[in-house]
Amino acid sequence: MTWSRATETRAAAILARYPEKRSAVMPLLYLAMAEEGGDLTEDGMRRVAELTGLSAAQVQAVASFYTMYKRDGVGRYLVSVCTSISCMLCGGDEVLDAVADETGVPDGETGEDGLFSVEHVECIGACGGAPAVQVNYELVEGVTPEQARSLCRWLAEQRPETVVGDDLQERFGGQRSFDWGPEEAEGATGPVPAFGPLGTTGERS
Amino acid sequence: MTRILLSRMEAHPSDSHTLARYEATGGYAPLRKALGMAPEDIVAEVKAANLRGRGGASFPCGVKWGFLAPAEPRYLVINADESEPGTFKDRQLLERDPHQLLEGIIISSFALGVHHAFVYVRGEYPRPARRIQAAIDEAYAAGYLGADVAGSGYSLDVTVHLGGGAYICGEETALLNSLEGRRGEPRIKPPFPAVEGLYAKPTIVNNVETISNIPWIVEHGGAAYDAIGPEGSRGTKLFSLSGHVRKPGNYELVMGMSWREMIYDIGGGIRDGNALKAWIPGGASAPWFVEEHLDTPVTIDDIASNLSMIGSGAIVVMDETTCMVKAALRVVRFFSHESCGQCTPCREGTTWLQQVLTRLEAGDGRDIDLDLLLDISDNISPGLAWPPGMTTICPLGPSAVSPITSLAKYFKDEVVAHVHEGGCPLA
Amino acid sequence: MPSQPDLVTFTVDGKEAQVPAGTLLIEAVKAAGVHIPHFCYHPRMKPVGMCRMCLVQVEGPRGMMLGTSCTMPVTEGMVVHTDTDTVAKAQEGVLEFLLLNHPLDCPVCDRGGECPLQDQTMAAGPGESRFVEEKRHYPKPIPISDLVLLDRERCILCARCTRFSDEISGDPLIEFKDRGNATQVNTFPDEPFASYFSGNTVQICPVGALTATPYRFRARPWDLEAVESTCPHCSVGCRISVQASRNEALRFLGVDNGPVNQGWLCDKGRFGFEFLNSGDRLDTPLVRDEDGDLVEASWAEALDRAAAGLSAAAAEGPGRLAGLGGARSTNEEAYAFGRFVRETLGSNHLDAQLGDGLDPRVLAGITPRAAIDDLERARTVLVWAPDLKEELPVLYLRVRRAATELGANLVVVHPRATGLDPVATHTLRYRPGAGTEMLRRLADGSGDLAAVRAALDEGPVVAIIGRPGLGDDPRLAEAVMAFAAGLPDAAVLPVTRRSNVYGAADMGLAPTLLPGRVANDAPGRDAAGILEGLASGDLGGLVLLGSDPATDYVEPQQAAAALDAAGFTVAIDLFLTPSAAKADVVLPALGFAETEGTVTNLEGRVQKVNRLLPGPGSARPAHEILEDLARRMGGSIGAASAEALAAEIAGTAPAYAGITWEALSWGAGREGIVAPGPEGSQPLAVAPEDHAPPPAARDLVLHQARVLYDRGTLTQAGPSLAKLAKEPAAYVHPEDATRFGIKAGAAVRLTGSGGSAELPVVLDPSLVAGTVYVPLHLGAALGAGLEISMEAVT
Repeated sequence: MTWSRATETRAAAILARYPEKRSAVMPLLYLAMAEEGGDLTEDGMRRVAELTGLSAAQVQAVASFYTMYKRDGVGRYLVSVCTSISCMLCGGDEVLDAVADETGVPDGETGEDGLFSVEHVECIGACGGAPAVQVNYELVEGVTPEQARSLCRWLAEQRPETVVGDDLQERFGGQRSFDWGPEEAEGATGPVPAFGPLGTTGERS
Repeated sequence: MTRILLSRMEAHPSDSHTLARYEATGGYAPLRKALGMAPEDIVAEVKAANLRGRGGASFPCGVKWGFLAPAEPRYLVINADESEPGTFKDRQLLERDPHQLLEGIIISSFALGVHHAFVYVRGEYPRPARRIQAAIDEAYAAGYLGADVAGSGYSLDVTVHLGGGAYICGEETALLNSLEGRRGEPRIKPPFPAVEGLYAKPTIVNNVETISNIPWIVEHGGAAYDAIGPEGSRGTKLFSLSGHVRKPGNYELVMGMSWREMIYDIGGGIRDGNALKAWIPGGASAPWFVEEHLDTPVTIDDIASNLSMIGSGAIVVMDETTCMVKAALRVVRFFSHESCGQCTPCREGTTWLQQVLTRLEAGDGRDIDLDLLLDISDNISPGLAWPPGMTTICPLGPSAVSPITSLAKYFKDEVVAHVHEGGCPLA
Repeated sequence: MPSQPDLVTFTVDGKEAQVPAGTLLIEAVKAAGVHIPHFCYHPRMKPVGMCRMCLVQVEGPRGMMLGTSCTMPVTEGMVVHTDTDTVAKAQEGVLEFLLLNHPLDCPVCDRGGECPLQDQTMAAGPGESRFVEEKRHYPKPIPISDLVLLDRERCILCARCTRFSDEISGDPLIEFKDRGNATQVNTFPDEPFASYFSGNTVQICPVGALTATPYRFRARPWDLEAVESTCPHCSVGCRISVQASRNEALRFLGVDNGPVNQGWLCDKGRFGFEFLNSGDRLDTPLVRDEDGDLVEASWAEALDRAAAGLSAAAAEGPGRLAGLGGARSTNEEAYAFGRFVRETLGSNHLDAQLGDGLDPRVLAGITPRAAIDDLERARTVLVWAPDLKEELPVLYLRVRRAATELGANLVVVHPRATGLDPVATHTLRYRPGAGTEMLRRLADGSGDLAAVRAALDEGPVVAIIGRPGLGDDPRLAEAVMAFAAGLPDAAVLPVTRRSNVYGAADMGLAPTLLPGRVANDAPGRDAAGILEGLASGDLGGLVLLGSDPATDYVEPQQAAAALDAAGFTVAIDLFLTPSAAKADVVLPALGFAETEGTVTNLEGRVQKVNRLLPGPGSARPAHEILEDLARRMGGSIGAASAEALAAEIAGTAPAYAGITWEALSWGAGREGIVAPGPEGSQPLAVAPEDHAPPPAARDLVLHQARVLYDRGTLTQAGPSLAKLAKEPAAYVHPEDATRFGIKAGAAVRLTGSGGSAELPVVLDPSLVAGTVYVPLHLGAALGAGLEISMEAVT
């Protein structure tokens, strides 16, 4: 299989920026997910294998090691609730319960309608604004269980195309780890971290 | 108040991350100075600064640089895989002053003879990745990166690499494996990365905060840095305060204050007027401190001599309402979840610890379970000493032992109560 | 020669020992008689220190340091402790951890009784488990290939299998999956562990996580009898352990013969033992009755008939009889066959090869001849030969190791992509028939071949040379050898495939050779000449020894016709092959593991094969059959016993002087002894020669080469391998496909010199346009000619 022309072009640019092709595996896995709406499919892994000269089993070995390459299906909105120590101390477990209850999707699962995936996660580096939640890896800090419910309702009702951290924080956040500075408009269009270039030098010709 | 790292973002909260503001506040002048120096003189300044690594191990940065083998090519890799529970300082540096880091990268690369540097940013940090990427884009456009850095003829490329969700990649050899497109499994050492690192080439791996100090050191000289703070803990350090303090956040501090000052003055004391029960002084891997440590000094060496570590500077404060078994379980769960699984004691041991603690917390504990926990721990970290011994490849497994030994040392009664009362006595 | 590493002195548990510097502690302590338990460490793979079982303490500047002995090289003055309380506690802890999730199914586990984990647990394990939690559960064994099953509950995640597949065999189809406590070994969905080397992972698995279907539930280790022997499948000569129970062969295991197979086997060798137990084995003599049918007969009757028929043909005049075969026999049997044909039949028409090999004088006399182990020191390896992965798989492993682990330049020249290409420094492709031009350009080394030539000029060079396919003239190989012999510090390994074709040549089973690599001044006919003679009536009879020209001759249909026309034919074989089925008398022989003797591999290494099984029915050793025939024909070839023949060989064949069974059975002799090359070695005197003119660009040429699993008699005689043979196909270059208007999967009709076949098309861009590749012996018999015509079938 091959990807869309735009994705293939990006893949080539990613491959070009590493001294060894194999290094491109992780960014290419994100590309594969983005190409297929968030899931890392077997076809996606096969394509990454072709591009990097690895076996599909080797690509699977890498993909399955990390938590963010979702191989078992993922919803349009991946709601990740931190329940690591600092967030736990500040009520992360209650936030997780609220999210699961509001979305009807238990921890670790994806709803039947494919709208939400809910997961508890280990520390996401927002301990000063605990408890913290990410939606498609866009961060909200200082979330109460009630705000978490509001957040889920808002996502279900508004179905935003792009999820922007600053926007979520404004609407549903509270205490922050630090002053985030000026708002930015970039955000995630799916359950893949919104990091446009997935690398840098190769795309600057 | 001494400021090295946070001054720009505090003074210019609206645009501290931009090249324009960075240059307007003296940025990239240190780079021009460095490009006029001999690389070995820059290394000498860093050595003279006595800057110790800010990623957790506190290894002197200049000494590490001195180990770099001569083979070509060489690489500099910035460890921005900040994942130690309680830590969120590098995120702030990446988001709010990315050019400070980038200038540090360029100077360090020049000093080390590196022409390709990588910034390995944890996957859950898209915003920090975007900010450092934007800074890199600006720097290329302004000629601070690329084939001719600031007109010097020196060439450097910088690539941002996004992680995939694995704490272990903060371990430098696991990070290198990950950057090579492999499972993030730590390597056997030696060889150390300075000799055989990325693609088996000489490689320096430094933390974001460590390298963010470099422009200041070059600008003011190593001696000026070495004049700040107590011996062994020179310069300023970012501390991430979280948990049950009134004023959580990142603080740039000159070390040497007492823990009492740290928690009650800087952290604003315990929330809701509760009493302090314990705190983790240096991230989830560190053995816990309790009231008896309140008047010991916050320095790298004092924390170590009190049998814990400054680690990444993450302080997690727990008040009297905290169930210590639950807290220990949460930390152990973290390490079990993050174990790479390649070596037996960590893979099996951390999970076993989690299973036993889960039973204890649920009220299904047995009298022998505390001894069992300690013996499992002993088989991961022989002697239960500090610094920890290890039967493992890397320190992740022994890190899971810290909450167990802390429980046994300070909260044995609470564990016993869990067994005898069929659950948490605080509930 | 590399300089010998310095010796270092160290102390382990109070005992001093000396080992070469750099030796890993886990190996070094053996010098002091100390054993350190381990699971992940394997001496033929890079240490990873994962299982942590081999923890020891080493005295250091900061006190005793605990570390894994598999990752620590010994240094001068090192003081090591393996017997302290700390070490014992650490090792017991690791063992307990490994057992937490290990199922207690030893009684039904194939590994039970020979399981390192079980042994270590019995020796030093905890009496009872402290683990009261739930164990990890996985579905019980899942098939990960046609040959291998994986039980993830038993797996201790030592990564031996995954490392072997990645590091050694280069087909990483099994890998770790997930992480931490959920880590498992697995394949990618729908991509089975279809490696030619998969059985090695079963052998090196330290528990019963990987099991092989041919052996599963067949025996307990303590019921097995075993002898060491030499694999009969190809000319590499891997050392094996033949294991049987109740007179039935149950498995072959690899034995670590350092200079040859280093412990590894290919799956054809490992699982090919099944042919020994085949119900199709000949177990009684057969003679042709008045109706023309082969019917069972007594030995006396059959031998009488054979002797009478051969004597009658011999009486027609000198040189009326011929012999084909011996390339799969022992040296002793081959020697007896040579004496039988020359002395009893009075003929020099004798060939062990069937037109698909190399000149026997090259096989026997090439100098300087390389040893396989020269690959350990080679700077550059040139492979212009069959695809080693398909034909000589363990030699492929050795070359792969040279190119990966040892950093040698690897130059592969072949008509299409080979198994070695992924690790090659340079790959060159040519159309069969255009090899001479390729060689000329390579020797010239200008233009785009400058870098290749520069690599070849870095010695020591090991050149592995044979006929890449049937379409390549053997004289091309000789010309390549002559070129290679002139490279710096070069040695040549001439490659053909059949297991003892080198031994057969050394025993004089060639029209041009006498035993001991001695030239025959009165050369007889080779296989082609013999078959022509039979067809024309110039020859009156034939004796086949384990040879099946109707299948294996380069033009099988010609061979079949020749056998049909032959006046009188005697076949001595294990199976009623298509050729044997045409014989007048068929005599059942004992085969591998049923007779004792020696064999000679492609480097000239003589190794012992040993007897463990009685063989089927009344089958007899070939040399006894030949001696009985000789006696009935009024003579004797002196073949009283195989051992007596061996003594005679050592006495009469100069290269084999001193290579006795005794010498091969003990100590270093078990590695085999390389028969020395001809005295006063001289470079091969073959000049590059333009044989056939290169084909015109528009014409299609045919490349035919063997694949590991084909429809050959031995492969098909065992159920495990029989099913692995693929369907035949025509591999066509995409440009040719376009030119002929055909698509992948479509059918084409190919017509060659010896037949025609309708085959599905597979696109193969690795070919040079104008070439069609058809794997040999998968069912499409096209003949050996270079020209081929192709038309789309609609």
